[in-house]
Amino acid sequence: MGMSSIVKLLKSYPSLPIIAALLVLFSSLSPYFFTAGNAESILLANSVVLIAAVGMTLVFLTGGIDLSIATVISATAVVGGVVMAQTDSVFWGTSAALLAGLLFGLLNGICVGFFGLNPFITTMGTALVARGIAFTLSEGIAVKGTPEVLLDFGFELLWGIPYIMIVGIFIVVICSLAMSKTTWGRQVMLFGSNREAARYCGINTRLIETSVYVLSGLLAGIAGMVSIANLGNALPGVGDTLLLLIIGGVVLGGTHMNGGEGSIMRTVLGVTILATLTSGLNLLGIPFYDQLIVQGVLIFVGYTLAMKLSRT
Amino acid sequence: MKLNNYKFFEQNWSAIAVATLVLCVFLTIASPAFMSFANMQSVLVQASVTAIMAVGMTYIIIGGGIDISIGAILFFISSVFAELFVATGSYPLALGVSLITGVLLGAVNGFLAIKFKVTPLITTLATYTIYRGMAIHLTGAQNIPVPREIGYLGNGSFLGIPVPILLMVLVTILGVYLIQKTRFGLYLRAVGSSEESAHESSLPIMRVTVLAYLIGGLTAALAGLILIARVGGLQSDIGIGLEFTVIAAVILGGTKLSGGSGSILGSVIGAIFLVLIDNGLNMLNASPYVYDTVRGIVLLVAVIVDRLSEVRKSRELIKNSAMKMRGTTS
Repeated sequence: MGMSSIVKLLKSYPSLPIIAALLVLFSSLSPYFFTAGNAESILLANSVVLIAAVGMTLVFLTGGIDLSIATVISATAVVGGVVMAQTDSVFWGTSAALLAGLLFGLLNGICVGFFGLNPFITTMGTALVARGIAFTLSEGIAVKGTPEVLLDFGFELLWGIPYIMIVGIFIVVICSLAMSKTTWGRQVMLFGSNREAARYCGINTRLIETSVYVLSGLLAGIAGMVSIANLGNALPGVGDTLLLLIIGGVVLGGTHMNGGEGSIMRTVLGVTILATLTSGLNLLGIPFYDQLIVQGVLIFVGYTLAMKLSRT
Repeated sequence: MKLNNYKFFEQNWSAIAVATLVLCVFLTIASPAFMSFANMQSVLVQASVTAIMAVGMTYIIIGGGIDISIGAILFFISSVFAELFVATGSYPLALGVSLITGVLLGAVNGFLAIKFKVTPLITTLATYTIYRGMAIHLTGAQNIPVPREIGYLGNGSFLGIPVPILLMVLVTILGVYLIQKTRFGLYLRAVGSSEESAHESSLPIMRVTVLAYLIGGLTAALAGLILIARVGGLQSDIGIGLEFTVIAAVILGGTKLSGGSGSILGSVIGAIFLVLIDNGLNMLNASPYVYDTVRGIVLLVAVIVDRLSEVRKSRELIKNSAMKMRGTTS
């Protein structure tokens, strides 16, 4: 591989040096790090974050942010859980959760895309609304009555890969293809790098901006259902700690917050970095609070590095 | 200043002031107990923590930044105070070190945000994680009770007025003075409205920005000391989600995230408004879980109304100038 192709690779995936460093570090420190069991647990624990991070990436690419994504995961999980407890049907539960996610996404999308409101404030408001709904509907406790089918789905493997991870991979592939192969994807990228230019090209910019928030809500709905399959119950607080991991994963991967620069595959790497870090530090017996410190430093350093590498 | 020169409805805090008055009237009609002296006092005491932090946050937002880490700073300061007081038994020492630590943490935020050209949201998200981790490391994830008698900042009163209210008023006055009457305030507004032109007029951007974040850290520290005294000790969930309540208060107060201008007084009224909503919901016997939803809806409605009035204003402006042009050509 020539020098120029390495430079090109680093430009498209600026987080590769970090992930390489982490893999070398942890595998030399712990003999259990490179085992199938460990890989499986990493994958299981992070599919919810990965699915939501794909949605967040789409929003970031337009220069926006979706702070509501984490609590919408909680709200949709609770909605799905309550419907499933009533009907014992995974189909209706999933439909209800996806519909709820879609509505939250639509609320964000219309406020930001059509009313021109600031995405930070809008999604902060929606985040509060969703959190309240999650806790009110569930009365603050885990919703019981998850159908057996969904519980099995959360544990079973296909060719050694957990089913819920396959859902995540499926979403990554579909959204990556949509970004690179469709007109919509190119319009999103153009809108993110230059709004005025996009408008002069005759792109319906309001619709484009709305669409990413709607997708983000929908993906949060899927993540909510996956969280039930993963944890066994719909928890009203499930999303509370996820926002940091979701945003952290996206920015560590090297997607810029100002839009127009980044990709879903970068986010996959970013989420992998945080997952690897957690797993490695757990194996080394580092307490959770010290892990927080390392995470914070890595997010800052990683983002700064990614900005530098993807620009050179 | 003559009253007719002072255009009340053109202040950016006038909307929140009117909304607060309307809410007060509504709550008084709904429940006669609302307008009692005791209830008013408890509303203001409850609002003090958010209000004091909102003053600091307003500085940061006027300067074109944002700080997600203030809840973590508050938690860190509370941990430092509790640990230090339990270890040494000296109140002045614990107090002084806590306030200085707050200043340092805020300054670190400002320095990182301006030096490395990283979006302040990401910078402070990173420091949020770091500060929270450091605080739990310090206390070993233990809850530390703090003796009631040292909670002067949270529970004491001076001339019959609770200390948190006095501190809130003091911070507000200082805050308004600093932004309106000093060179720092002027520079901060300039940096916030356009960093580029501030750079061209060679303003000390670094110093001004760091100072704004530093004020944010200091107000978070002060709020932490009030909160720990009122709660009666350090608890592990202190400060979680507080940053969003504070930002909501600032936005409701009429400050825009775009930077360059803002209203300290509005932020403080915004914080009081949020407590009044809680107060009203409490009187209606609403489930505490609904509070978040109502807050979110209030915030969304506020920004939508603000946006609509902005659109109307700009349409009128276009209409007026179009009419003027027609007048000159015909």
